[in-house]
Amino acid sequence: MISRRQMLTASAAGATALVYPFSMARAQGSPTPDQVFFDPEIPALGNPKGDVTIVEYFDYQCPYCKVGHPELMKVVEQDGKVRLVMKDFPIFGSVSIYASTLVLAAHSEKAYEQALNALMATEGRLRKEQVDAALLRAGLDPTGLHLAFKRDAKRIDAIIARNMAQASAFNLGGTPAFVIGRKIYPGLMNEKALKEAIAEARKA
Amino acid sequence: MMRLFLLSLLFLSFFAAPLQASPLPADSAFQLTVSRNEDGSLRFDWSITNGYYLYREHISIKAADGRELPIETPAGERKDDPTFGPTEVYYGAATATTRATSDGPLELTYQGCQENGICYIPQIRLIDPVALAVSNPSEQVGSAGRAPSSGSGLPRAAAPEASYGSTPEIASTAAPAAGASTFNLASDDSLIQSIRSRGGTLLVVASFLFFGLLIAFTPCVLPLYPILAGVLVRGGGQLKPGRGFTLSSIYVLSFATAFALLGAVAGWSGQNLQMLLQSPVTTGAVALIFVVLALAMFGLFELQLPASWTNWIAQSTGALSISKRTVAVLGFSSALIIGPCVTAPLAGALLYIAQTGDMALGATALFALGIGKGIPLIALGTMGGSILPRAGAWMESVKRVFGLAFLATAIWMASPLLPAGLDLVFWSALLVGAGTWGLSSENATAHQRIPTRAFGTMALVYGTLLLIGAASGATDPLRPLAALASRSAPAVEKRELEFADVTSAPELQQFLQASKAAEPTLVYFTADWCITCRTIERSVLIDNQVRRGLDGFHLIKADLSDMDGDKIELMQQLKIAGPPTMVFFDRVAREPAGSRLVGNVTVEGLLQSAGFAGAPQK
Repeated sequence: MISRRQMLTASAAGATALVYPFSMARAQGSPTPDQVFFDPEIPALGNPKGDVTIVEYFDYQCPYCKVGHPELMKVVEQDGKVRLVMKDFPIFGSVSIYASTLVLAAHSEKAYEQALNALMATEGRLRKEQVDAALLRAGLDPTGLHLAFKRDAKRIDAIIARNMAQASAFNLGGTPAFVIGRKIYPGLMNEKALKEAIAEARKA
Repeated sequence: MMRLFLLSLLFLSFFAAPLQASPLPADSAFQLTVSRNEDGSLRFDWSITNGYYLYREHISIKAADGRELPIETPAGERKDDPTFGPTEVYYGAATATTRATSDGPLELTYQGCQENGICYIPQIRLIDPVALAVSNPSEQVGSAGRAPSSGSGLPRAAAPEASYGSTPEIASTAAPAAGASTFNLASDDSLIQSIRSRGGTLLVVASFLFFGLLIAFTPCVLPLYPILAGVLVRGGGQLKPGRGFTLSSIYVLSFATAFALLGAVAGWSGQNLQMLLQSPVTTGAVALIFVVLALAMFGLFELQLPASWTNWIAQSTGALSISKRTVAVLGFSSALIIGPCVTAPLAGALLYIAQTGDMALGATALFALGIGKGIPLIALGTMGGSILPRAGAWMESVKRVFGLAFLATAIWMASPLLPAGLDLVFWSALLVGAGTWGLSSENATAHQRIPTRAFGTMALVYGTLLLIGAASGATDPLRPLAALASRSAPAVEKRELEFADVTSAPELQQFLQASKAAEPTLVYFTADWCITCRTIERSVLIDNQVRRGLDGFHLIKADLSDMDGDKIELMQQLKIAGPPTMVFFDRVAREPAGSRLVGNVTVEGLLQSAGFAGAPQK
């Protein structure tokens, strides 16, 4: 499981207030674009063969991640050539970790997307029962997912640990935070901001 | 607030403008201060930037051993908008109190969001329950970020240790304003400002009076005791408490005034007057004055100011008698002796004057500081009369004792100017002289003779040892035989802490850049003439605990013995009032809040600050 100490790693200096070039970070020994955009263990949403990847570091209890999610999905769908990689960055404690592990334990990419969308549609703070209920409503089996996670805990914990290490390397102060192209955008992004960021990533 | 929030949501959905200003760093969004309530409980206050909020349920505190401690928080605002579900949050300000006590640092956790922007990761701060200092553990040790993934086939580049090194680089490329030319100092309010905001000007004066009292017995102030006592004794005759009080009060008032004036001019001009005051010339002159005072004590001549001075002072001060005037002049010049001792309150007042130009309050604070230092002196002067014996033959002996004390002060002041080891010769001469006098003293009565001679013998023996020590190359008067001892027992190796020298701000920047992400840094401001620094070097820096605590630190020394423009620039950039001052930088070249040490440094204080800056814990 993710310890509080690991959660701390991401804190560094709090939220980085400015968008800064990814390449700068890389030059200093941060994760490579491959590691950020193409984690083989995290299914890509949107168009998996798209030319631009949006990475979002998020938490299932973070209100603004959830508020912005429908708009993000709309932009991804409308554009048609955007890959979306959702990276679990649980910052709100054990329920967030619980939610992330269940979703990551989904047996297929389709189930993963269903589970993720079901939890992103919830309201605010969650208890474990609410996580289970939301998954049930989406036609998924929370108990089965929990068992699947237990069998696969090593792989799933490693995914979350990788996400957190990257968040730490990027000095992300919280969620949501986006990596689009070579830039990092902390905080909620609306449609316009997302489109601009995508356009910029294509130009580069 | 809720309506405002909904309004802003609405607004944002109509205009596809950027949603929010870039999120602030957590410490700017939620500014934490720690204080102690009158009932002894710890109080945490957050000042929350407009547009940000803290969660009530995410405020928690743990003891050093990991125990969860009870914490009290008032009811927050209910954020029961359907989007968020019911939670209690704080806007504008939040407080929490805990009655729990702990030996070690407490771990305070809190979490909040930027409205409609970002939710911060849990903020964890270590609170020192005694000093009430706040530190951020995640800014200290890179090893905190060791994720289990680092060994799972990922390239080394993804390991958090490696990427940690990049964070400050990113931050500095992102914010060129905070680029290479400035230092990342802790943004502590100045001492005066923070006291003033709590209790107004009166509290500033009262606090500085109290600070003065606290440092009245430090080595800086101690030379004043023999001076005052000598003056009182020299007056001859029976010293009545009233007269003792008057004289010592005049003395203290004069030096407090001089102190305030010097401080005001120093702070206002931005120059450090203590540098001038402590030039070899002035130090030598003051030492000479003490020799002259001592000779006067020995009855060689009566100390009188030049007639022209006395006349002028007599005209301007009117009815004051000669001795009162002498006392006033002595008091005024005594400020020269204690002025150079930089202590935290002095540094605070000097910086306050320099930064705000508010000479009146700065000088008042310094005056209060001077009076505070003088209160024990006044007590001594008042009660001294009844303690000191009647005038008579005894008086002569007492005068001689003070003469010796003056000579000792002269040697002590001059020793930084002398070649190492030469002061031992002077100490030896003084002790041998004192011993001879004690042994040959004739006017002592039978039962006074024994202690006198015992002391005389001891002084002779120690004086002899010092002479042997000086001849064998010893330099420390307290360990005269060290050179001989180490020759017979060479196994004991005492490694000196090695400091690299810096002389300018850009040079220090380079050092910090070079050691960034690798090791924390200690910058030690010292000077030849700084007496407190010598004490620190002799008793604190050689302490084994301190060596261990500073293990892994990049040690840098700024020697202020010879001042030039570059060093003044360096001091101004780092907001240094003078030596001794120790500034700590952590691994990302930031000064941790509450880590700076000014004035007399103790082993405990140094270890604590080193801990803040991220000394490796063993």
